[in-house]
Amino acid sequence: MMSLLVFRERVKNFYQRNDIYLLPAIKFIFALVAFGTINAEIGYDERLKSVPVVIIMALLSAFTPSAIMVLLAAGITILHVYFVSPVLSLLVIAIMLILYLMFARYTPRLGYVVLAIPILYVLKIPYVIPILLGVISIPMAIIPMSCGVILYFIFQVIKTAITMQINKTVEDILLVYTYVIDELTGNKQMIMTIVIFALILLVTYFIRKMRFDYIFEISIAMGTLTGLLGFLISHLILGGNSNIFMIIVGMIVSGAIVFVINFFRITLDYSGVERVQFEDDVYYYYVKAVPKVTVTTPQRNVKHINANNEDVSSQSIPSEYSDEDMDEYDEDEDTYLDNNNDFMSNRRNYNRNKDIDS
Amino acid sequence: MRGALIVLGGNMLNNRKIRLMTKLAVFENKTGKEDISLSKYYKTDYVRYQVLKSIISATVGYLLILALVILYRLEFLIKNAVSLDYKTIGAYVLGIYILIITVYGLGSLAWFSFKYDASRKKLIRYFKLLKRLKKVYSEEMPES
Repeated sequence: MMSLLVFRERVKNFYQRNDIYLLPAIKFIFALVAFGTINAEIGYDERLKSVPVVIIMALLSAFTPSAIMVLLAAGITILHVYFVSPVLSLLVIAIMLILYLMFARYTPRLGYVVLAIPILYVLKIPYVIPILLGVISIPMAIIPMSCGVILYFIFQVIKTAITMQINKTVEDILLVYTYVIDELTGNKQMIMTIVIFALILLVTYFIRKMRFDYIFEISIAMGTLTGLLGFLISHLILGGNSNIFMIIVGMIVSGAIVFVINFFRITLDYSGVERVQFEDDVYYYYVKAVPKVTVTTPQRNVKHINANNEDVSSQSIPSEYSDEDMDEYDEDEDTYLDNNNDFMSNRRNYNRNKDIDS
Repeated sequence: MRGALIVLGGNMLNNRKIRLMTKLAVFENKTGKEDISLSKYYKTDYVRYQVLKSIISATVGYLLILALVILYRLEFLIKNAVSLDYKTIGAYVLGIYILIITVYGLGSLAWFSFKYDASRKKLIRYFKLLKRLKKVYSEEMPES
């Protein structure tokens, strides 16, 4: 356990020093995976599948807000579908618009969830999302999550619909269209999945809100358990057209992944090095503000040595952590200054301050 | 002068001011971006504007759904175009529309008022820092 915590500190240090390069790199990898899966699943148009196009798009989404990545992903899926069947692509656009206008626009920051669910579905671990959102988000996240599930099932239907499209008379088009709608509205598995995902999120969220030791770990475990139970029950009700073994394995793997993410979450929550610029009447300032890490490292480690396994609660209050920090600053700024505890100080200035003050 | 001063080639840098300004700038660039843009509205204006937007988007969404449904039932509709009871259908469509609009209107009313209040709360700290910066400025002025 100890070496793991040390490792986490190291990761945190590394992240804080280099987050200006790391963040785009991570986004680039995410985008690459996302576009890659889309191309593998419904890659009908060879031009969009070519490596330079994919890399350029991934680079673009690495340096822009996450909404751009979602838009790009939506764009290439529509283009792929358009390549085989313009009518179906119209349908996809209509459904995406409906999902956006009626639901997804109320949670703009969680747009990436809509994209992540279908992608992770292909990778067989979509259950990461409800558990993770239960840990880090609010129940409103059910909305984009459900949209993601719907999108995944739409593309499953469309994949089969594309194979049955023979020629392009009006009747055929109508036939394909009614087939897709029939499959969608009559899809009990989709509705079941949405309900179970929502349940997982709610269970994880409300357990996480309680206050006792190991609450994050417990809530993740309970979320996973809810998912297992839910999918077992749905499997019993709907009968076996889904591979229950894969679901169980995926569920457990998802729980483990969220567990790991949660372990490093304090790292990810931390603001890294800030670069800001501002001006006053006399100067332009280009400030690089480096958060102090050396203060927190010994504190947390000491706790773990003493308490051995008992007191890990100190690691599970990341959100309060930053708040307390700020409040302390707000209340008595002057003592804060004198403590050499502020985030910009460097020793030379500090010594000078003391000289002047005294 | 209480703030820390460093003398660099005859110019004066006020450390405390820089510190405050850095905090403000970090907040403005990151977490506070949305909150600050929100604070430019009055609550009623903001909520009304958002409710209007969500009603419009719900309307467009409903029209799209309606179009999909009509397309789905096209064969049936064309076959029975003469004998259809348009009055009942119209009433249904309108009734569902009014229901949706009410739900979306009230829902976004509640959600966006909540959001506005929450963002106000976040801004309290920001305003506190701003006030402190103002104080620093007024302390600085007589000297220069």
